[in-house]
Order: sequence, then C-alpha cells, then structure tokens
Amino acid sequence: MAGLGALCLVLPGRIAYGENELRWPTLAEVLDATEKPDSLGDLGNLGSLGSLDTIDIPETPDIPETPETLKTPHIPASPVIPDTSANTDSRIFLRHFYASLAEAGERKVRVLHYGDSQIEEDRMTMQIREALQKRYGGQGVGLMPLAQTIPTRTTRQELRMNGRFTAPQQGPKRYLVYGPKRDQRADGLYGIMGQVAVMNDSIVTGSETITAVCKPQTASAHYEQWKIFADSSVHYTTSGDTVHLQGRGAVYAISQESRTGVIVDNIPMRGCLGLVFNKIDSAQIASFCREEHVELIIMQFGGNAIPTNKNPGTIKGIVSGLREQVRYVRSCAPEASILFIGPSDMLTQEDGEWKTYPMVPYMDRLLRKMTMEEGVAYFSLYQWMGGSGSMKRWQESGLAGSDGVHFYRSGARKAGNAVADWMLEGMEN
Amino acid sequence: MELLHHIFAFNSESPLLFTQFYFWAFFAIVYAFFALIMSSQRSAVSHQRLHLRNIYLLFVSWFFYYKTSGLFLLILAFVTLSDWFIAGRIKSAISHQQSAISKVLLALSVVIDLGLLAYFKYAYFFTNAINDIFGTGFRVFDLFAYIGNGFSEAGRFSVDTIILPVGISFYIFQVISYTADVYRGRIQPVKNILDFGFYVSFFPQLVAGPIVRAEEFIPQLYKPFHLSRRWFGLAVFWILNGLAKKIILSDYLAVNLIDRVFDNPLLFSGFENLFALFAYSLQVYADFSGYTDIAIGVALSMGFYLPKNFDSPYKSKNPQEFWRRWHMSLGRWLKTYLYIPLGGNRKIGFGTYFWLSIIALVSAALTGWWWQILVPFGVFMAGVAVADKVFKGAKDSKDHNAISPRRKLLYSNLNSFITQVLGGLWHGASWNFIIWGGINGIGMIVNKIWREMNWHVRFGSMTALTFGLMALDAVYNLPVWRLFAVWAVIVWVGTAIRYIYWLIIHEPSATSHQPSAIINALGNAWAILQTFTFITFTRLFFRSSSNLDPATANEVAWATAKNMVNQMGGAWNNAVIPDFLWEYRWVVAMFVTGMVIHWLPTNWKRRYRLWFSAMPLWLMVIAACVAIVVIYQFVTADMQPFIYFQF
Repeated sequence: MAGLGALCLVLPGRIAYGENELRWPTLAEVLDATEKPDSLGDLGNLGSLGSLDTIDIPETPDIPETPETLKTPHIPASPVIPDTSANTDSRIFLRHFYASLAEAGERKVRVLHYGDSQIEEDRMTMQIREALQKRYGGQGVGLMPLAQTIPTRTTRQELRMNGRFTAPQQGPKRYLVYGPKRDQRADGLYGIMGQVAVMNDSIVTGSETITAVCKPQTASAHYEQWKIFADSSVHYTTSGDTVHLQGRGAVYAISQESRTGVIVDNIPMRGCLGLVFNKIDSAQIASFCREEHVELIIMQFGGNAIPTNKNPGTIKGIVSGLREQVRYVRSCAPEASILFIGPSDMLTQEDGEWKTYPMVPYMDRLLRKMTMEEGVAYFSLYQWMGGSGSMKRWQESGLAGSDGVHFYRSGARKAGNAVADWMLEGMEN
Repeated sequence: MELLHHIFAFNSESPLLFTQFYFWAFFAIVYAFFALIMSSQRSAVSHQRLHLRNIYLLFVSWFFYYKTSGLFLLILAFVTLSDWFIAGRIKSAISHQQSAISKVLLALSVVIDLGLLAYFKYAYFFTNAINDIFGTGFRVFDLFAYIGNGFSEAGRFSVDTIILPVGISFYIFQVISYTADVYRGRIQPVKNILDFGFYVSFFPQLVAGPIVRAEEFIPQLYKPFHLSRRWFGLAVFWILNGLAKKIILSDYLAVNLIDRVFDNPLLFSGFENLFALFAYSLQVYADFSGYTDIAIGVALSMGFYLPKNFDSPYKSKNPQEFWRRWHMSLGRWLKTYLYIPLGGNRKIGFGTYFWLSIIALVSAALTGWWWQILVPFGVFMAGVAVADKVFKGAKDSKDHNAISPRRKLLYSNLNSFITQVLGGLWHGASWNFIIWGGINGIGMIVNKIWREMNWHVRFGSMTALTFGLMALDAVYNLPVWRLFAVWAVIVWVGTAIRYIYWLIIHEPSATSHQPSAIINALGNAWAILQTFTFITFTRLFFRSSSNLDPATANEVAWATAKNMVNQMGGAWNNAVIPDFLWEYRWVVAMFVTGMVIHWLPTNWKRRYRLWFSAMPLWLMVIAACVAIVVIYQFVTADMQPFIYFQF
C-alpha cells in the first residue's frame, strides 16, 4: 500500500508512449475515488449484492437553469425544455400537422417516424402512435418490412417461403439504404422505408411464394385493412392476419392500418446517421407522401455520430449533412411538417468513470440551431433527460441499458410519452 | 467533521467493495493495528492476545458490514445471537438425552434463519407467484421498516420495498451449518459469543463467500497466530490474482461487449451473440472467483485459511465434475445439508416426493399447463415407484443391505435434481434461476445415464436424437430447433469418431486396453469442450438485471434468452465474423487469454504461485506495483466503440 501510495505521489496522471498513454491516478483522484460506485457485475446476480439501494425517480420535474452543469441529473416525468425560447417555439413548425389532425375523422393522417436503433422494436413510436390514435382515431401499426429482422412488441411477424417457416435473414434479398455496400442498390428504389425485399431476385422463373403473418400483440395494433406497397409484378392476397405474395419484384412495405385517423409508422434504420434520405428515389418518397397523406415526418438521428467523432468540426459537418437531408425530404413532401428528435444523453468510460460524450451537448446545440433555421420543430431528448450525466441516472433506475446509449423499453416508453405529450401540448397552446 | 462522517457513516452509494480504493485504505489501517496486536510476542502469542485479536476483527467486520449494508447489521447480529444461543441449548439437550427437544430447537433455528432469508430475498418472488397463480394483487410490505418507523407506514424507512441485505445468503447458510453440526455432534458449540460472532462476520468472506463451515474455521480462532513469509507471498498473489480476474477479465469484457449484447441481442448477429454468451461464461467465473480469491488472500494475510471456492471449473469433463469445481463451498453445503438429508444415493423419502411435487405443482400453476405437466408428472412418479421395485431385486447377492447400482442411480438423480433446482433458487429469486437450476439438474442426469450406456447404445441414441432434431428443424425451421440440431450434429460427429475408435481398438478379451496419451488428451479435450458449451448455454438463464423490479427482471431475462436463441439460430451471419474479430480484437484477445490461463495445467499454476510467493520482498513489491499499474490501465481503458455489423 505504501509503495502504491508513493507511486501516486511520484507519477503524473498520464505518461504518453507513442500514440498510447500509461495512466495512473494522482493522489487527488485517489482521495476522490472513495465516492465512485463500483459496477457490481455478476455478484449482483448471485443474490448477495443485488439491491444495495432503492431506485428513486422523482416524478415532479425540476427545471434546471443550466442543464449542462447539473451536478445531480434528474429524470423528469414530463418533458422539460430548459431553453424554452428554442424548443417551445419550434412547435409552431408543426402547425400544418396540427391543422391536418382536424381532418383525421374523415381521412388518413400519416406520420413517418424515422430513427436509428433507439426506435427499434417500435420503441418510442408506439407511445406516439397510441397518444395520437387515442385522441384522433386511427388503427394499426402501419408500415412493416416484408422480412422483419427486428421483432417488435406490437406485432408478431412470421415469414414463410413456399409454405415453410423462414428466418427473416434467410428470406428474400433485402436492400437497405442504410446498410453496408453489399446490401445497397444503385437505382435508389428503396421505397418509403429505406429498405426493400425483392422476391425471386435470383430466380428466373419467379416461382417463389411468400407468406407473411402479422399478428397484433397489443390492443392498439388492431387494424382495419391491409395495404401492400409493391411493384405491380407482385401479386398478393390477404386473409386475416396473413398476406400471400407471389411474382417477381420489389415489396417496399406491408401495412396494417385504418382508412381514417392517424397512422404512425415505425421506421428504424440501425446504425444510421440520417444522411441517407437523398439516396432514396425522390419520386418514390413524393408519391407515397402525396397519396398516403403524410402530414408529419419525424427524424430521430444524431446518436450514431457521437461515439466515433471527437472533433467538433466533424460534428458540424454531420449536422450540415443533416440539413441537406431535411431539405431533400422537404422537397419531396413540401406540405408535411418535420420534427427532428435529437440524440439522448450518451455515456462513455473515461478514466474508469462513466461520462457524457463531450460531443452530445455540442451536437444538440447545432441541431437546435439548424432546425430553427430550416423551419423544423426540435425536441431535445438530451435536455429533456436532464442534460449531461442523466443517462447514468437512467441506467441506475433501470430505464437504460448498460451500454450508456440505448433505452430499455421502460425508458423508451417514458421518452415516447414525453414526445407525444409535448406535441399534443403544443397543439393546445 | 464532514470527513469523519464520510468515513464512518453508511452510504448506500459507496459500499465497501474489494475493487474500490476505500476498501484498501480501510484494510491498510485494519492491518496496521492487527500487526500491532500480533507483533509484541514473536514466538508464541498468548491466549489473551488471540482473544483481543478476535474481538478486534469482530468489530472491524461489523464496521465493514455497517459501511456496506447500514442498519442491516442488526440482522447479522440477530442471527449470530439466535444461532449461538440455540446451538448451546441443543448441546445441553443432547447431553441430557432430550432428543425431542434438540430436534425442536434445530427446527426453530432453521425456521428463523430460512424465514429471514425468505423474507428479505424471496418476498417479491413469492408475492408475484401468488399473484400469478391466484390473480391477486398483493404487494410487499416491509414489516421491519414499519417497526423502524414506530409502527407507521410513513417515516424514515419506506414500507413499500424490501431491500436485500448484502451477503445474507452467505451468512445465513453459515449459521445453519453451525447449528446443524452442533446437533449432529460434529462440533462443540462455541462458548464465547464474540468468537462465534467473529466466525459469522469475518469481513473478507462476509458478503460473497466462501461459505465457511464452523468446523473448518472455528478451530483457527484458538490456534497460535502464524504467518510465514511464503503464506504472506501467497496472500499477495491471491489478492492480485483476484483483482486481475475481476477487473481485466470480468469488468473489461462486460463493459465492452457482454452487457451490450445481453441488453440488446437483436442488435447483434448470431455469431456475436454466441461469442458474448461464451465470454459471459468467463466473466461470471472471473467475477465471482476473482472476488473470492481476494477474500482468500486478505484472510490469509491475517493468518486465516479460507477454503478454496473454485478449482478451474471449465476444465470439467462432465456436469457433475463441474459442480464439484464451481462454487465449491456452496456445493459442499448443499450436499451436506440438502442432498444427503434428502437421501443422497441411498434412499428417496418424503422430502424427495414433497419437493418434486412442489416443483411440478408450481410449474403447472404458473404456466397454466395443468394437465400437460401434472399428467406426465404422475406417470413419471409411477415410473419411479415401479423402477424402485424392479431395481430392488437387483441388489448385490453378497450383501443383503447393499443398494443396487441402478437404484443408487435413480435415488441420486432425483435428489440431485431437487438440489440443483433449489440451488438455482439460492442464486436468485426469480424463475430464470429456477429454470437454470433445472437445466443443470437435467444435464447431470443425462450425463450420468449416458455414462452407464455402452458404446453401441450411445451411438444409436445419439444418432436417433440427431435425426430427430434435424427433422424438427426441417419441418418447423425455427431458430431454437436449428440451434439444437447444429449442436446435436457436432456432438454426433464427436460420438461417431469415438465410437469408431472404440470399435477398432475394442477387443473383448483385452479389457485392460489403455488408450494412448494423445487419444486420452483428445478425449478429455472433447469432454471439456462439451461440458463448457453446455454450462455456457445454461447461462442464458443465469443473468438477471438487479436494477429492475423482480417481475420485470424476469420478463427481461426471458426475452433476452429468447432473443439470443433467435439470433444464434436464425440470424447467424458469417460475413460479420472477420469484421467483428478485428474491431473487437482487444475483447477477443482478453477472452482467449483468459481461457488459455484457465486451461493451463494445475501444476503450472501451482508452480508460478509458489514462485511468486518465494520472491524476495523487494521483487514482490515491484511485481505487485507493476501488476496494479497494468490492472489500472484496464480500469481506465477507453470504451470499445459501438459498431453495428448486423443490419
């Protein structure tokens, strides 16, 4: 112990060698370390160290003046937008969407919710859908890919090829606008979901038949009708929760929905920065938005830029790219309102401690500025969570995963409800 | 004043754990005073000094527990007092040949101890189970908090949650073993309650074991203190070894890969899920054994010997051997105080039937598959009764009291299955741990039956099983059948090779044929690999989030297992393997290094341990400092960025 103490005194915090560095705690860090909680790892599972403290999630939100410098992050129950001048006002950019909701009793009002892995499994979208459908009517989960590789909680989806159960990954060839090069196509015909399944892609005869069974798992997932978005060369029939397809061509999406009311589509794009919309054929987006009455497009991106970019210049470049995407989407659907949801708080380990990535607040500020300039509503997930370090608190409360990035379902439910409440509140104001 | 409060007051945010600086500062001070007490007489330490040492370490241990668990120290003190008192009365009843009273006292002690454990550890589990079965809406109510608030629901303590006292599973088992051993006459009761308190509370093993039995530890309280130079070196080795396991292998692998895969299996391909599952096997071992290595080292540095708790468990060639090498102190406890009282391999009695019926009834009630479970269970029990009668006739003709090997196998299988299921429940109060225990129990039974078979039957049954699983995969094409089918094919190939080898070398006349060393080694490697794979797959059910409420934790654990199976059986993606191996090269390197070290021959390990302990002091100090610096690099290592390979 004495030897190690002496090392603390003698050695500086870091000794660089080549591109790496040797780290050692300074005496000040050692004395400070007594407060640092340990990750209990699996001993927690052994029943002995499992519950060292109780979970305390304040239900009444505090409104921090400067969230960046919060010492004790909080988890508000309802959205708190500390910088009201930016976010609250940004809801005026949803006025077209708000106006269209008044007609939801007579026609369809469609909302496309694009996002990264944070919205996979219908997370967050589900709460937005339920809130809007509860107030303005509408049924069904909306768009789903033919081969669903990421099961959702709302719909149990099975794929059968020539009558035989098939894992979605082994199903028809999928092309993804956000996927690796081998999964991309040159013609840009990815459809509205940014992914397309091509039936009989490599079979000349086109003898393959595909059956998709999509069983609603929640009350809100029950639907009125099927809609299939596919090439005219693909023929289909539906019966109950099942759709049978045959022929050769692209299937862009299958949808369970209603004839009127609000339809909210969950469109996750794993690992995506959000810089892919202009790779999708603009005519496809435009015709879908026009025919399907898309009145709101939600874009929830930015998180994937954080872990790999430490340079503010790069973040600035990415936000500039996102501006281009927003403009592209707007050019395809000029009437639709756009809502951008920024990244959540995200953690990384630095010197053994979990800390917010330095670029999260920076990106949040840039996105807010960009969306304001582009006439796009902005919801700051990061600020709503409580700013810097709030993800740690979410983890401890069982709301977010140990990777410091992804929400658990409970956390996604909380965040989805917050976005929905914020949108509806904006309408009342 | 604030500093003093910080040092001495309980803070649930910073419990005393071996991986924290605060613990080592605490231990340095404790050790300094310990050395002062023990150093005044070098050759022989007087009885009074030993007594002083024991009292000193008792209070230190209580302070340690207070810092870790706050007022739950009172529970520890209560069970100490209760079992000390009851064991004394048991001894007195036995001396006066009052066997009924001694039995009642033993039962009273077990009821108190298990009652406390059930209350703190299983309240949520039982409440949820009752609500699930009867559709009620009961909620837990913390009686102790209610009393602590002065018989009020509002006050300092929340009555809506029951917090698990740290280490209760371990020290409750310790006191049960003490009272039971006094009852059986294996040990004499401890006269001094402070000495007994020291045995129950000794801080290195208090929160995570090993579970020390009274007969192993209490005699050490009265032995003259002795700490040789080599013992001291070994203590330092075990501490460093434990820290390296916990921080380099366990925490690094967990943070950089395992946690994120288990949190979101669907984000990863089948290969990544499989790798994470194997890495999790290593992590669990490194975490738990690392913690007990440190405990053993700390205790040894004060001259106390704690029993070995892990013996390279992933070297096991079958599940039984695994359970002899894994968490050995728990295994011994379960064997002595559960398996043998149930009848071991000598009988099946009321206990066996009772527990089997409870397991079947509760499973039926919770799944709602009443007749699907209870009818086969009834048939099974009838089969057991018939088999018991049939095997009864096959006893050894020379010894009429002997039990036939088949009967022994039957008894042993039933009683070990119950032991495994209840052992699973000890690990965690949720269904996934019970399923985990059940799978382990079934694994042991299957292996025992397998070893009883001759090679023709083995090959035939494995072939039939493989074809059966392949047919299920072909018909249903579900990931779970795909996974089973692939595993069966791999095992079948190994079995076929061994079967052919056996056919070639088998000479009925030459029963003494011994396979060559290489063949033996290959056979062992194959058995080790199969056992490791089996144990690894049981771990699908071993992980549960401690920061979720039990019902949600159960749901999440089940969903995680299901999603991982779906990914491994349905979303296997060879294309991501090279990318994964490259991008996660440090994680892969740590895993491979950990496994290689684990599989090193025991002699090598003993040799380098002894070599370290015999180092000159100055060299040991340098080696320890280097080791700490290296470990610290892993504490502060940058996190592996999140990379998606699967789209």
